Amino acid sequence: MEPIIEARDLTKVFISRRMKVTAVDHVSLEIYKGEIFGMIGPNGAGKSTTFAMMSTLIKPTSGSIRVSSFDAEKEATKIRQIIGVVPQQYSLYSDLTARENLELMGNLYDVTKKVMEERINYYLKLVNLETHADRFTGGFSGGMKQRLSVISAVIHDPEIIFWDEPTTGLDPQTRQAIWKLARKFNKEGKTLIFTTHYMEEADKLCDRVAIMNDGRLVALDTPENLKKKSSSVSLEEVFIHLTGEEIRD
Amino acid sequence: MDIKSELRKSWIIMMKEFKQIFRKKMLIIPLFMFPIIMIVFFGYGMGGSIKNVDILIVNDDTGMASSSLVQEIGSYIPKDSDIKMFSITYTKDMAQSEAERKIDAGLYKAVLIIPQDYSERVAKNESVTLTLLTDSSDTTSSGIIVNFMQQLLAKTRSISLNVPEIYGNLKYLDFLTPAVIALTIFFGTVQSTGYAIAGEREDGTIVRILMTPVSKWAVILGKTIHQLILQLIRAVILILGATVILGVTMNGSWLLVALVLTIFTFGSVGLGIAISAISEDMTSFQQLSLFFTLPSMFATGVFYPLSSVPDWMRWIAYTMPLTYANDAMRIIMVKGQGLSFIARDIFILIIFGVLYFAIGVHLFRREA
Ligand SMILES: Nc1ncnc2c1ncn2[C@@H]1O[C@H](COP(=O)(O)OP(=O)(O)O)[C@@H](O)[C@H]1O
Ligand SMILES: [Mg+2]
Repeated sequence: MEPIIEARDLTKVFISRRMKVTAVDHVSLEIYKGEIFGMIGPNGAGKSTTFAMMSTLIKPTSGSIRVSSFDAEKEATKIRQIIGVVPQQYSLYSDLTARENLELMGNLYDVTKKVMEERINYYLKLVNLETHADRFTGGFSGGMKQRLSVISAVIHDPEIIFWDEPTTGLDPQTRQAIWKLARKFNKEGKTLIFTTHYMEEADKLCDRVAIMNDGRLVALDTPENLKKKSSSVSLEEVFIHLTGEEIRD
Repeated sequence: MDIKSELRKSWIIMMKEFKQIFRKKMLIIPLFMFPIIMIVFFGYGMGGSIKNVDILIVNDDTGMASSSLVQEIGSYIPKDSDIKMFSITYTKDMAQSEAERKIDAGLYKAVLIIPQDYSERVAKNESVTLTLLTDSSDTTSSGIIVNFMQQLLAKTRSISLNVPEIYGNLKYLDFLTPAVIALTIFFGTVQSTGYAIAGEREDGTIVRILMTPVSKWAVILGKTIHQLILQLIRAVILILGATVILGVTMNGSWLLVALVLTIFTFGSVGLGIAISAISEDMTSFQQLSLFFTLPSMFATGVFYPLSSVPDWMRWIAYTMPLTYANDAMRIIMVKGQGLSFIARDIFILIIFGVLYFAIGVHLFRREA
């Protein structure tokens, strides 16, 4: 299989209040084109930081990343053009309407006006927000914000989608809708990478799963193989087996 | 980097900022009401005393009377002070037009011209007229100087004082308003740039913007141009408001006002970016920005002339860009003078602007 993301020896050390925090500790992994790739692990495991480095938002302290054969350090702009990122925070402009938020993204990605309007209408309908298109997002519920956030990352039709905890804190119905979208995007050929701490979701959805703990990559394989290797019935058990720790939340 | 596409991105960011600001109706109060309130309150509520003011005495008389007059002026110490009111330079044989030029150049706050036959006429008890020129862009000092001279000369009935008005009829409001506008632009720009960046950082929206192929330059440029336009519109409205409602003088060129404020806003945007870059969140931004802006309000001679503060305070003022913006705005609005008179101020403002902007851009991180 063809790797679309190659991370080599990624390390990120934050210095905050004179303390060194190794958020990501020598992580190497490959993500294949067209797969749904999950990263699981407790809060503080380093998932978001790994995401941020792979999506060129922050620079690694050491190590290298290639995305679709572009170098993350030298060709960040080219990478940004082909990826769509849904941050962990909703990060929408509360004083702009849903449509204006989407248009802003489309414009910044240089999507032509006609294509953009088509896509905006299509996606708004897809996530059941067409009646709220011209309302300020400040009044949206968490679920509505998340659905808008998800589609505003695909207005430019990216090859790779990064989702950071897309379902955390959402009601079961919205979570269902989000996973349906994930499968749909994947069927269209997009590579989907997401983080979650709902292990059973990763189990159901992912082609392969990376388990992180304390900044380190603990295991990486298909859910089936992971379970088989440690003769567990769930990824939760796999995690406990591998780290000797309960999942903290 | 494709310049056209960068500019297009800046345009998009700028339009977004405008959309947002027009929706914040509450912003009208700090944008327009605060400066007007400030002008009204301080304009009608302040007087002042002066010390060590530079004046020039043109004494064409060689008699006793003039030398004792000059001595009296030179040694005068106001009641509530222990410092002489004037610091005097003497000369003779200078035309009034030349003396006016010296005031224009900022060398003296006032020039007193004593005619050749002064002592002779005083001795004979004949009427004689002295001429007092003052720097009317500094109405506080001027008012006090004129007042002082009138009282001094009133002792001898035959002496009268001629005070030609160099720049028309001036009031403290005329002195205050140009500086309040500069101050308002300074505070407003630092605050709203900071809000736009520290706030977007807190909301996470800046992350989304920076995840697109847009460069940090385009983001900064978009936000800067937005501020420039916003602050210039604000200045025009405030100046028009002050002239129409309060009768404040606007003698000079609008173009020069725009030039000074553009350069000044540019630097203030840089300062706002720098402060927001080193703040962790909105609360720390607010505290830090007050630390960087509030001293300017009191130290740069917005409310009283710098010529009347102690040397050490004046030196502090010289390290603050607002000092030069105030000066330039007064020279334009009150004196109606041209580019060559504000060249020094503009030069220094450009240096501050480039410095602050470079620091701001340097500190502005992609990283959230
Ligand atoms: N900007 C930052 N500055 C300092 N420390 C950080 C920063 N971002 C993350 N960290 C720290 O790095 C570690 C990993 O965080 P993160 O990648 O967000 O974990 P996760 O997404 O798995 O919950 C945590 O200990 C977190 O406190
Ligand atoms: Mg996270």
